[in-house]
Amino acid sequence: MDELELIQGLRNADETAFKLLVDTYQDRVYNTAIGIVHNAEDAEDVAQEVFIQVYRSIHSFKGESKLSTWLYRIATTRALDLLRSRKSKKRFGLMQRLFGDGNEPLHELPDYNHPGITLDRKENAAKLFKAIAQLPENQKVAFTLHKLEDLSYQEISDVMQTSVPAVESLMHRAKQNLRKILEKEIN
Amino acid sequence: MDNNRNKQVDEILGSLDGSRRAAVPDFFYTRLKARMEKGLEQGQSLNKSWLLRPAFAITALAVVLLINAFVILKDDATKDNSTKEVETLQSIAAEYSLNDNSPVYDLNQDK
Repeated sequence: MDELELIQGLRNADETAFKLLVDTYQDRVYNTAIGIVHNAEDAEDVAQEVFIQVYRSIHSFKGESKLSTWLYRIATTRALDLLRSRKSKKRFGLMQRLFGDGNEPLHELPDYNHPGITLDRKENAAKLFKAIAQLPENQKVAFTLHKLEDLSYQEISDVMQTSVPAVESLMHRAKQNLRKILEKEIN
Repeated sequence: MDNNRNKQVDEILGSLDGSRRAAVPDFFYTRLKARMEKGLEQGQSLNKSWLLRPAFAITALAVVLLINAFVILKDDATKDNSTKEVETLQSIAAEYSLNDNSPVYDLNQDK
């Protein structure tokens, strides 16, 4: 089944087509989500939401980009939405604590270990993920897609709906910021 | 010192190079299907959820208040009208000598 047949199958609500879509893209979507949210359960939640959204809005997919590009776009958007809601919950929790209403302790997420990293690099990778979490959203997305999903700058520009030079600039600034954050951490 | 630090930063920055893609947990598709079916059921059972929306509740309350206000205002207007009607009837009665202390009653009492 090629991509056009797959899209047609999804439009006809064909379950075989949907299963094929999930089987083909589940790891790419999950890996992208886990690279941004740094938590396995949240990443699975995001991945499920991505496929549900695709199933519901396949009729609005015009086919101007590749299906994978569309999936990456939804995955990054959903993952960033989750980070924003996590931040607002944290802010609300802080407010509750200030006014003496919240009894639950506020704590940062523990160091994240990506399952695809070899044991000898796990410690450094955890430091890098901690630094990535401090990057602005667009730099975080560009860096994650490039490093974890191995996408080219052209593919990232399609996902982020921007130009290749803009992605180059994002990557340059991301690396500079990461370097600064890591240097501070080491000192 | 600086060289050592730069080397350490470079090592950290390169720690994701050549990493494997993280795979979804087992039975991902089963859980996804279950969530979709649950969502569909919830969607069907919540077809009348608009009844619980604040916009609906506020509109319903406003309608009830408007009906109350309308009834109260109309009642006041009716009272005004009935007072006028009584006055008119009294004046007619007085004109035709149909008051309570009319001689008819007096005559009956005499009998």
